[in-house]
Amino acid sequence: MAQNPAQRTPPPLIPLRFGEDALLWAAWLYYVDGLTQNDIAAQMGISRASVNAYLADARTRNIVSIEIDPDRYRALSIAQALRDHFGLQDCLVIPSGAGDRPLIDRLGAAGSQALSRLVQSGDTIAVTWGRSVLALAQQLDRGGLQDLRVVQATGGTTAKIPWTPEACATRLAEALGARCIPISAPAIVSAPEMRGLLLSEAVVAEQMQVLSQANRIVLGISSLRPESTIHTSGFFDDVAMHSHYHAAVGSIAGRLISARGEPVDGPLEGRTIGIELSQLKTIPCRIGVAGGMDKVQAILAALRGGYVNVMVTDADTARAILASEGYDEVPGSRREGERPPLPERTGVKKFLNRPQDAVNETVAGALLAHEGVLAAVDGAPRALRAVRGPRPGKVGLVIGGGAGHEPGFFGYVGEGLADAVAIGNVFAAPPPDPILAATLAADGGAGVLHIFGNFSGDLLNFEMAAEMAAARGVPVRAVVTTDDIASAPADNRAARRGVAGNVFVFKVAGAACDRMMPLDACADIARRASQRCYSMGIALEPGALLDSRRPSFQLGPGDMEIGVGVHGERGIARARLASADAAADLILDRILDEMQPAEGDRVALLVNSLGSTPQMELYILNRRVRQRLRARGIEVHRTLIGHYYTSLDMAGVSITALHLDDELVSLLDHPCRSPAWTQP
Amino acid sequence: MLMFTRTDLSDLFRSLAERMAAEQDTLAELDGEIGDADHGVAMAQGFAAATRALIEAEADGQTLADGLTLAATTLLNAVGATTGPLYASALLRAAQVFGAQQGVPFARLADLIPAMAGGIVDRGRGKPGDKTMVDAWLPAAHAVQDGQRRGLDTPAILRAAALAAAEGAEATRAMMAAQGRAARLGPRSIGHLDPGAASAAALLDSLARWAETAAGRRG
Repeated sequence: MAQNPAQRTPPPLIPLRFGEDALLWAAWLYYVDGLTQNDIAAQMGISRASVNAYLADARTRNIVSIEIDPDRYRALSIAQALRDHFGLQDCLVIPSGAGDRPLIDRLGAAGSQALSRLVQSGDTIAVTWGRSVLALAQQLDRGGLQDLRVVQATGGTTAKIPWTPEACATRLAEALGARCIPISAPAIVSAPEMRGLLLSEAVVAEQMQVLSQANRIVLGISSLRPESTIHTSGFFDDVAMHSHYHAAVGSIAGRLISARGEPVDGPLEGRTIGIELSQLKTIPCRIGVAGGMDKVQAILAALRGGYVNVMVTDADTARAILASEGYDEVPGSRREGERPPLPERTGVKKFLNRPQDAVNETVAGALLAHEGVLAAVDGAPRALRAVRGPRPGKVGLVIGGGAGHEPGFFGYVGEGLADAVAIGNVFAAPPPDPILAATLAADGGAGVLHIFGNFSGDLLNFEMAAEMAAARGVPVRAVVTTDDIASAPADNRAARRGVAGNVFVFKVAGAACDRMMPLDACADIARRASQRCYSMGIALEPGALLDSRRPSFQLGPGDMEIGVGVHGERGIARARLASADAAADLILDRILDEMQPAEGDRVALLVNSLGSTPQMELYILNRRVRQRLRARGIEVHRTLIGHYYTSLDMAGVSITALHLDDELVSLLDHPCRSPAWTQP
Repeated sequence: MLMFTRTDLSDLFRSLAERMAAEQDTLAELDGEIGDADHGVAMAQGFAAATRALIEAEADGQTLADGLTLAATTLLNAVGATTGPLYASALLRAAQVFGAQQGVPFARLADLIPAMAGGIVDRGRGKPGDKTMVDAWLPAAHAVQDGQRRGLDTPAILRAAALAAAEGAEATRAMMAAQGRAARLGPRSIGHLDPGAASAAALLDSLARWAETAAGRRG
């Protein structure tokens, strides 16, 4: 153990505020006052070597902690992990999402930085093609070297894209002051014989000879996802990709590789002019430049195959690659000095008989509790109907979904609301049979409207049931709710989940049906209500599943999940637990951002417990929500507060705002009577 | 000639159901990470229900198509969710392929896999790389076609399909989900195994094991 020099020789002049702690004094003078070690030595009356030892000691004793900007620290430590894991020569990871510059530009800049450092006079640099490669070439400025050659790694294309092999090579050669050697042939030719002929042409043979002498290569890595640029590159235009290349996940230099990084052979190989993968791997310095979540699989394949030994990418991509390789805790993702987690919530107590009977027993209890309102549908134990709902000439409204959201969904069955409901297992869409039974029970001869949340299971089962109903002569329209603004970006609204906003959509549609509006009009107004609903949730504790009585996901003791789904799906981010006002603000900021209400606009508000959050906390949140809305000049026409759409016993809240217009106000005010919503 | 009969179908489903029961907790855990944790229960309940129905109807003189259709509708109505319609469509397609026969040559057992894969792709409209069960089923279907082209025997073909499915499932780790609940996670879905692909790989492994035992028993 190192002795504390301060205890050995306490300097006489130590200022009082530092107590007896010479280390603290030295550290203060150095880090806060900015003195040099010589100045400190003079002021403290000790040698410079002692100052140096004090400062080192101050760091090991945590008197001083040195902080590196977290984004940079993270990028650095991820780069190191990536290098170690794949045995790379070097790795450069840039912070993700910093500033407004597009990722491709920033990758290009980082790639050019890497190449500038590596390139030497006399190099022959092969270059493939792609957006990142071109961005690299465009941002490179490295003169002063001699006898450089840049050679195309593949033949050319005629595709109308800026990042063709020709453009990438030309641009790179310009930036380096190098001689540019093209490959004067197409990358893919029509037949193997043509390839043989072209390769034996003196010009092409000579160019390929230069390519074989390359000692560095700059590589783009392409994914084969439908949105990938490779499909517009002109490389694979005339090839039925999937027939031979179903195992391919990525492409390098026009060659295809599998998830394990092995070459995938097919008819293209005999028709491709360019560097072969086996040859590529003999090049000593192979710089890969690629990033983006859609490319994770392709980059991983390239790294596994050893085609790249200097990787340039961004932190999110690198972290996803490491996660795919089974790294649980990617370096830098946990802050230093964080408290160790408390024991997890386990063995949650519940009032249950046999877990597998839970849903049926819930339905039985609900029928008894609400016997004037709800009735069973004969022959369909998982379908219920309203006692006073379906009537001749009225459009029938059928809702449904998995159990576990009580009072969703049967709580919204009754006069002026839904006519029938289909109930699935916990968090699982109901099968087509109960949906069909509910549809037939709700049918009054004017067609039936299906409303359900946007989940793949609900879509599939409701779609099948609608086909079966149509075959029985009952026309069905479906409206899929998509109010969860945290579940996908605004430009992809169709991908969003349907959550607590369901309650408002059911109400509006139920009123429209009750007013005897025709089927298409009911569907239109329901769709409009759904589109004007904005919901977002925050979870504090996961709900516990019935079978295991264990939490369905993990949430740290000091954490909350922002944007959580109603089945415990992870949200958009995990954050430190915040106060009620801060939590309400988090949600409301996003809702208002999207809704863009004008001053004087009206909304309906639902402050909803996700299960175990008590009414008290809902009122505290509601107080803040109203402060924010008042500040915006928004009027709240109606507030629902309580358990309206839950997720078993999850602790948390969701807030929904329905942006009203006159028709929606009128339908919202229409009388209704159901287990969960009754108004005169 | 060695045949695959309606009785074999019940026996095969018994193996599949046992395997799904054994995998239930693992699948629930995988699904908890990127979905809603119901996949284990759905698969276990669905295959258990289908197996019960098949065994109960065994004395009815059903054809293979009848049996597969019964399995499809039972599974569908037992679980709903996404699993129900996808596996129901898969089994209905298999029913079409085997047709109204009491038995088919054992070598045709492998035809189940491309048929089921086709049903799943058509119903779910999933594409390879979307991080779904398609990423296990399609490689398995390709492996069957490849094995048949190379003239392998049925157990070997099914083993190759199981391995391809396992590898396909493993590859879903690096994929960003584009379908199903996990799609909303976007980048956060990367690093996790897709539960639907994992259960598909387990089913196909169970099918291969069953065929190895059955062929050994009779051959």
